[in-house]
Amino acid sequence: MAGKAFRDNAARAAGAPWLTLKTREMLEAWLFVSPTLIGFLIFFLGPLVAIFYYSTTEWNLLSQQATFVGLRNFHNVLLENPDFWHVVRNSVIFALGLVPLNMALALSLALALSRPFFGVVFFRTVFFAPVVTSAIAWAIVWKFMLQGEGGAVNQMLAWIGINGPNWLREPNWAMAAVIVTRVIKMVGLNMILYIAALQSIPRDYEEAATLEGASRWQVFRMITWPLLAPTTLVIMVLTTIGSFKVFDHIYQMTGGGPENGTLVLAFYIYQQGFKFFNVGYAAALALIMFVIVMALTLVQVMLRRRDME
Amino acid sequence: MTKVLLKDIRKNFGTVEVIRGVDLEIEDGEFVVFVGPSGCGKSTLLRLISGLEHISDGELHIGGRLVNEVPAARRGVAMVFQSYALYPHLTVRDNMGFGLKVRKVPASERARRVSEAAATLKLEPLLDRFPRQLSGGQRQRVAIGRAIVGNPDVFLFDEPLSNLDAELRVHMRSEIAALHQRLSTTMIYVTHDQIEAMTLADKIVVLRDGRIEQVGSPRDLYDSPRTIFVAQFIGSPKMNILPLADGQPIALGASVPATATSVGIRPEHLSLGQPSNSTLRGKVGLAEYTGAVTLLHVALDGGQTCLVIHNQGPAPETGAEVGLRAEPGHLHFFDKEGRAV
Ligand SMILES: Nc1ncnc2c1ncn2[C@@H]1O[C@H](COP(=O)(O)OP(=O)(O)OP(=O)(O)O)[C@@H](O)[C@H]1O
Ligand SMILES: [Mg+2]
Repeated sequence: MAGKAFRDNAARAAGAPWLTLKTREMLEAWLFVSPTLIGFLIFFLGPLVAIFYYSTTEWNLLSQQATFVGLRNFHNVLLENPDFWHVVRNSVIFALGLVPLNMALALSLALALSRPFFGVVFFRTVFFAPVVTSAIAWAIVWKFMLQGEGGAVNQMLAWIGINGPNWLREPNWAMAAVIVTRVIKMVGLNMILYIAALQSIPRDYEEAATLEGASRWQVFRMITWPLLAPTTLVIMVLTTIGSFKVFDHIYQMTGGGPENGTLVLAFYIYQQGFKFFNVGYAAALALIMFVIVMALTLVQVMLRRRDME
Repeated sequence: MTKVLLKDIRKNFGTVEVIRGVDLEIEDGEFVVFVGPSGCGKSTLLRLISGLEHISDGELHIGGRLVNEVPAARRGVAMVFQSYALYPHLTVRDNMGFGLKVRKVPASERARRVSEAAATLKLEPLLDRFPRQLSGGQRQRVAIGRAIVGNPDVFLFDEPLSNLDAELRVHMRSEIAALHQRLSTTMIYVTHDQIEAMTLADKIVVLRDGRIEQVGSPRDLYDSPRTIFVAQFIGSPKMNILPLADGQPIALGASVPATATSVGIRPEHLSLGQPSNSTLRGKVGLAEYTGAVTLLHVALDGGQTCLVIHNQGPAPETGAEVGLRAEPGHLHFFDKEGRAV
């Protein structure tokens, strides 16, 4: 549709001598970006502005009444609410567990699967498939498998003589379980990014280094790993952001429990906004999360830049 | 003493045999050039010697040692890649010192050898730059420097000059020749540029479809090519090959061997004469003036086109009738299999 509109417009423009070439090109350019731009305005900038506004109100969804309260929501979140810091701590633990595990696994898989061999496509597909399956379905399946009594995981552990815990009912195990199952779900994406990056490194470097006497580990450490740095940064930023935004996974597997042991920021925002209907409070939380994610991203980018110099 | 000896070397990728039995002896300190058309297996043969590819069959000896199963790093060879393969994230200094570093050579020794090599190749001002900050010729020089630092027994070059412009190519060619004179290390050099081959080589190896077609000094190959393939591959512009039809008296004064079916004459050994008293006549088609000489494309009465280098006086007009004279003693006769007779 956009294409047709563009052609019509271009045809009109071509037949309209009063439009200079420059104006016409400008028009075309705007036309091309307009679908994205309109989407951006409506679905991103709009809500962002709205959230700024909501965060300064006390608005209970049920009462349909919003009262302006200035920065009181922020004051409450940061200074009066011990839950908030507990939730942030959970989010940080989740990220600290997930990001390194995910990246290490993704890189190992990519190193194993970046060169062709018989069956390589099969293995890549196997590891990528979870990425495109529904997060909810994935969580439900794992919830069953991780049941204390009769769950598939504990049954397998029993074969080798280990008495597995009730994974999702004990706070520490629950956190470990949501991290690991989330990693298995998402690792395929980073694996693909790493495979693409590895394949774009010319074989010559490795061959030259090998001829000069470098071991495979030296080639990796001194050649491959530095050349992967830009990809590593992108993956690190995206994975960190993703881990702070995790919601559906927690929602389905633990509901934030047990004893709020897996209550992470995004899920807490949902709880405040749509279970307790504190919209203004939830909006303030969302803004704080936005700032945290933004800050983390900037720090990572800056660290990398310093590293390169 | 680093002789390189190849005995019936073979290489296949899957079911395709790419190198099909190569026997070759390379003397210590010799400069050997592999030439041949694209896809004939030059790079593959070089990679077999380096150890980057595994040898399917045959024996490879370097410095008197059978090295078929010796890993690349321990064969005492250094290679200069066509792409240079300079590590983009390391400075020139670190690129050159890389091999010493992974081999745990102490830093002071490393610095000394890098600066020595840098001095040899006039690379000192570039040592702290990254490869992306270098011109093509400078990268080339760094790649050679990196090879020198390791002090190898054998240098391998795979079309090292093919990414440079014509002028720089000539210049680097002379630098490589000078380097060989100074180091007198065995060098094996791959190119498909026959001028490079002729100017650099002590010994040229002409490859064709994974086999050696002929081995010899540049002069050997030019003066007495053993096949039509070699005759046309060496020398530029390439040799004219004319069929020896019955009664066609091309071979002025020379006796034609009984089994010969064609005769080869290099363009530089033909000259123009009067059509009336020449045995070979034709019409000038294209005349390519290059300054020093003019390359004439003469359409013979027999139907073939014959190249002639003309360097005395003005060239005839396009379409002019000319006669051709061949210098006796510069005729090459070939039988119907294309072998010299
Ligand atoms: N890894 C490989 N797998 C399969 N076939 C290969 C491989 N490497 C080379 N070949 C084949 O071997 C033949 C020789 O290749 P090679 O690269 O040695 O040619 P070359 O003489 O260096 O050509 P060029 O002048 O174009 O560089 C080619 O037909 C090529 O397709
Ligand atoms: Mg090649």
